[in-house]
Formats: sequence, C-alpha cells, structure tokens
Amino acid sequence: MSERPDYLPEHIREKLFHDPRVAEQDLRVDVKEHRVLLGGNVSSLQLRHTITEVAQELLPGYEIVNETTVVPTTEPEDAEPVS
Amino acid sequence: MIRIAAVGDLHYGEGSQGILKPGLEHLPDRADLLLLAGDLTRWGKPEEVQVLADELRGVPIPMIAVLGNHDYHCGREAEVRRVLEAAGVRVLEGEGTTVDVDGVRVAIAGTKGFGGGFRGAHGSDFGEPEMKAFVGHTKMLSDRLEKALAGLNAADLRIALLHYSPIEGTLEGERLEIYPFLGSYLMAEAVDNVGADLVLHGHAHHGSEKGRTPAGIPVRNVAQPLIRHAYNVYTLNGHREVLPAAAGGIT
Repeated sequence: MSERPDYLPEHIREKLFHDPRVAEQDLRVDVKEHRVLLGGNVSSLQLRHTITEVAQELLPGYEIVNETTVVPTTEPEDAEPVS
Repeated sequence: MIRIAAVGDLHYGEGSQGILKPGLEHLPDRADLLLLAGDLTRWGKPEEVQVLADELRGVPIPMIAVLGNHDYHCGREAEVRRVLEAAGVRVLEGEGTTVDVDGVRVAIAGTKGFGGGFRGAHGSDFGEPEMKAFVGHTKMLSDRLEKALAGLNAADLRIALLHYSPIEGTLEGERLEIYPFLGSYLMAEAVDNVGADLVLHGHAHHGSEKGRTPAGIPVRNVAQPLIRHAYNVYTLNGHREVLPAAAGGIT
C-alpha cells in the first residue's frame, strides 16, 4: 500500500471498520514510520488477535503494536435506584 | 420495586460465543426484565445474532430489544429480528409492549432512533435529498416513539428504549464532531412530550452513563464498552411518576 502518510492511519481505521472480521469503529490507529499502533476497546481476546492479523494483511512489512483493551463482561456489583 | 437490566452494543460476531453468557448466570435473581439497546451484531448478519440468541435462549425473564445501526448494515435486519424473536426476545421498532411484573405493568416503547444533533445545532431536512432523508428519518422515528409511548399511558411504568442518544449529557467523552451521528434531541422531545420514567440508549461507547432530558427524565447510556459489565441494573418504584411535558421555556 503506498499512500500519503498523513492519511494512512485514517485509511487503515476505515478498512478495519469495513472488514467483516473486525467491524470495530472505536479503534485508534497511529502510524510512525513502519510501526502501527492500535488502541481502543474490543469485546474479546479473539477479536484482538484478529485485528492484529487484519492490520498485518493491510500493511505487510509494518510492525503491528496492538494495545487494544478487552472490555470485561462481568456481572455488575450493584443496582442503581433511579426512582 | 422493578429491576431493569440493560445493555447495548454487544457487537456479536460469529466467533463471540461465551462473551456474555457467564455474566448472565445470576441475571434472573437480580432483574425482572432485560432490555437490549441495539448493535447486537458487528455486521448485521443473522449468523452473528444467532450466536447471541443461543446465549439468551432460556433466560427466564422477559427480554426486549431494539436494533442498532450495525444490525442494519447487511440489509438483513428482518432476519436478525426473527432470530432474536425465535429465542424469546421481543424486538421493537416504533412500537411498544407491556410486561406484568408482580402486578406492576411495565411498558417499553422502542426505536433504533437516529442522528441529527442537538438543540441549537440540529440538522434540518433542507437542501440535498440526502440531507432531507437523513433528518427525515430521525423525525419519523421520533414521531413513532412519541405515539408508541403515548399509547402505553395506562402502564404503571414507562421506559423508552433507544439505540441512538436523545441527549448530549450521555455523550460527554465523545468527540464533539460526531455528536450529530450519535443522536438527536428530537427523541428527547418525543419522550418529554408524553412522559416516561426512564430512557435507555447505547451507541456512544465513549460517552457518559447518566443524564436527563430537558424535562428531567433520567437517561442512561448502557453501551457495553462504557458500562464494562454484562449489563447494568436500574430500579424503579412501581408507582408512576409522570413529569410535566416540556412545553415552552425549556432550560
């Protein structure tokens, strides 16, 4: 992929969102030289791995640093009285 | 006291088995209803929502959902709806339903809702056909929400279930540039016109949980990446408290 570096992170973010394996709009993408930094929330460890794989497919030869966080789905501690 | 469990934005994919299920183990002991605030899938595929439906099937409390923008992406929202309903989840779009909880009639009016922005900065159905369609869609869904809520007037408690946000208050934390894509005040106005006890929505993963409509009705953003639990639980007194309609002089 040869693109202007100013626009490359946004293009990668858009491609990740439009990939049905990912479809995650909340990802942050930064590209510094040949290093791609990915951030944001994901729903599972598996999705986190998939994002790394898809990013590698999009940018072969780049180092992918995936710093996304898996959001917990544990039970809530308390109920909130609203009325 | 009625206990409402709610969550949105689960974004299930075909490999999402087991994400939610462990967190549902004690749900029937902790809540009387489960409300799902849209974006139940990543891509809007029936195969994706089937994974979620398999985890919800057999949950012994009433489950009610609206769909979100992701659930429309493939144009297969009717199939998504059917899969959920086959698992016992009632799906609402511009309509309402009433559930009896120990003699208390709890009514839920639901719509996906849509965007446009908020008071002082809302888009208008003016100019290009695309802009008219965008704002017109929000107006149509807001009108349907108001009618659905008004039709549930006999209930003891009324809840509006949305995907998009009706207020800016639960968007705090999101980038201002995307507010028009996150919700519309037209939905808050619809709720304020006819009254409700609680409004629930998702969609704003980086927003805030708590807010109120201009007339003071509590709003809770239950986007899962925000609440960071399988669901949140809100309790409501069974006695109906109808707030006055926000006619004029809104502050």
